[in-house]
Amino acid sequence: MMQKLLDLWAAYESTLAFAAVNAFFALSTYAVMATGILSFATVAFAAVGGFLGAQLMGQFGLPLWLVLPASAAGGCVASLVVSFVFLRLESHWLALASLALILITRILVLNAPMLTGGVNGLSVPIEAPLWLLLGLLAVVALAFWRLSVSWYGIAARAVREDPAVAGSLGIAPRRVQRMAFAVSGALGGLGGVLLAMTLQFLSPETYYINISFTMIAAVVLGGSYHWMGAIVGALVFTALPQIMQALVPQVQDLARGVALLLIMILLPRGLVDPRAWRIRRALREARR
Amino acid sequence: MNGTPMLALSGVGKSFGGVQAVSDLSFGIERGAVAGLMGPNGAGKTTVINLITGLLAADAGRIVLDGHDLAGLAPQDIASRGIGRTYQNVRLFSGMTSLEQVVAGGFLRRGTSMLASFFGTPSARAAMRRTREEAMALLDRVGMADRAHSLAEALSYGEQRRIEIARALGARPKLLLLDEPTAGMNAAESQVIGRLLHELRDAGLTILMVEHNIRLVSDFCDHVAVMSFGRKLTEGSPAACLAHPEVQEAYFGRKRASSSESESHAVRSRPHG
Repeated sequence: MMQKLLDLWAAYESTLAFAAVNAFFALSTYAVMATGILSFATVAFAAVGGFLGAQLMGQFGLPLWLVLPASAAGGCVASLVVSFVFLRLESHWLALASLALILITRILVLNAPMLTGGVNGLSVPIEAPLWLLLGLLAVVALAFWRLSVSWYGIAARAVREDPAVAGSLGIAPRRVQRMAFAVSGALGGLGGVLLAMTLQFLSPETYYINISFTMIAAVVLGGSYHWMGAIVGALVFTALPQIMQALVPQVQDLARGVALLLIMILLPRGLVDPRAWRIRRALREARR
Repeated sequence: MNGTPMLALSGVGKSFGGVQAVSDLSFGIERGAVAGLMGPNGAGKTTVINLITGLLAADAGRIVLDGHDLAGLAPQDIASRGIGRTYQNVRLFSGMTSLEQVVAGGFLRRGTSMLASFFGTPSARAAMRRTREEAMALLDRVGMADRAHSLAEALSYGEQRRIEIARALGARPKLLLLDEPTAGMNAAESQVIGRLLHELRDAGLTILMVEHNIRLVSDFCDHVAVMSFGRKLTEGSPAACLAHPEVQEAYFGRKRASSSESESHAVRSRPHG
C-alpha cells in the first residue's frame, strides 16, 4: 500500500498536467453551458488550436508566446464560424450537431495530411512545463471570475434561465450566446495546443469523442452553475482513475462511471453549487 | 384623452394554424393612463401582449409606439424602446435573489460597456453600484426590500409577482404591460397592486394591464378595451364597458346578464375557466 501511494506521488505531476488541460476543455464547455447551450464542439476547437499550434512550432519554429495566442485565436475563429450555423438550431439539435462536428473533424484530420500528418500523426517539439499550464489556468480562472461578476455574466445567467424573458429586458440572447462561443473557442484552442504539448504527439484520435466525454463529465460532476465547478470537476475526474488504479486497480474502469452516477443522483447540480450555498446562508440568517 | 396615443394598434391580426387568435384589433393607450384589456379566457389578450413585445409577429396591421412602427423588431429592440412586461405565469430567473433579478432588469440602463465591467474600471464599478442602489429602491417601492436577498423560489406567489414588476421597472420603461398582475392574489393584495399602479402612473409611467379581476379594472383603470374571441367588443370607461350588453354576455353568460351589479362584482376571475 505504501509503495502504491509513493507511485501515486511520483505520477502526480503528469496527473496534474492532464487535469489542467482537462480544466481548459471543461471551462470551454462551461462557457457555452453558462448561456444555456449544451455543445461538444470544444473538441473541434481543440483540434484547430492543437494542429495549428503544432505546425507553427514544428514547421515555422515560432516561440511559445506567439503559438499560444495563435492557437486560441484559431479556436476562436472556428467557434464563430460554427456558432453562425449552430445558433440557428434548437437546443437538442445543437448538441447533436456538435457531436457530428467531432466526427467530421476526425475525417478532415485524416484527409489533410499536409496539415495534420494524417494517419501518421504529428510530433510536437516543445513540451509544456507544469508551471505554464497552472499559470495559464490561473489567468483563465481570473478571467472567468471577472466575467461572472460583469454585465456579461448577468446577461448570460438571464439567457440561460429564460431567453425570452432576457429578451424582454433588452438582453439579446443570440448575441450573448455568440460571445459565449467565442470564449469557448479561444479556450478550446488553447486547451488543444496545451494537450498537444503535454502529449508531444498528435494523431487523428487525439481530439475525439473521449475528450468530449471527459469534459462534459467534468462539468456535470463539478457543477455547471459556477466556473469553479469545471475546474474542480476536471481535477477530480482526472485524478480519480489514477488514484483508483494505485489503490484498487480491479475497479478502476468502474470508478469514474460510479462516481458520475452517484453525483448525478446525490448532487444533481454538481460539487460546486452556488444555489446550495445561498440556501444554506439564508437558513443561517433566518435562524439568527 | 387628447393627442396621439403612446401606443396604437390598428387592424392587428394573428392566427395560429388557421385559428384566428386576434383579428382586426385596433385600440390606443393614452400617455399616462392605466389602461385595461379585459376578456374571457382564450380571448387573445396574452397574444396581444406577445405581439406588442415582439415575441410574436403580427400577420396584419400595425403596432406603433410614439410614431415608430414596431414591425420586424426583435424583443430586445422593443424593450430598448421603452416597453417592459410581466408574465401571466410568473417567470423569474431561478437561482437568483430578488435583488439580482431587478439588477438584471437594469441591463439596458447599465451605463457602462461589458468590457469596462469585465475589467472593473472605477466608472464601471460606480455604475454597478448605482444600478444596485436603484434596484434596492425599486424593491422598496414594491414593498419587497426586506426580501432582497431571498431566492425567487423562496417567495410566495404574490411576492414573486411584485419582484417581477420591479424587474420590469429596472429598465425604466415608459410603457409597462402587465399580464394578470393579481392572478392568485386575495382581494387585499390586489388592492395593494392597484395602488402601486396608480403611484407608478402618477410618476409618469403608462400601463396596460390584462386582467380578469373586474373589481381591479373598475377601481384602477382609466380606460378599458374588452376582447372576445380575438375581436374587440368595446372600449371606453370601465363602467361603460362593464355595462355593455355584449360584455355582460361574454363575462356572465346570457342568463346572468340582468343580475345586479354587486353580484357581478362578486364574480372575480375566470368565469369561463
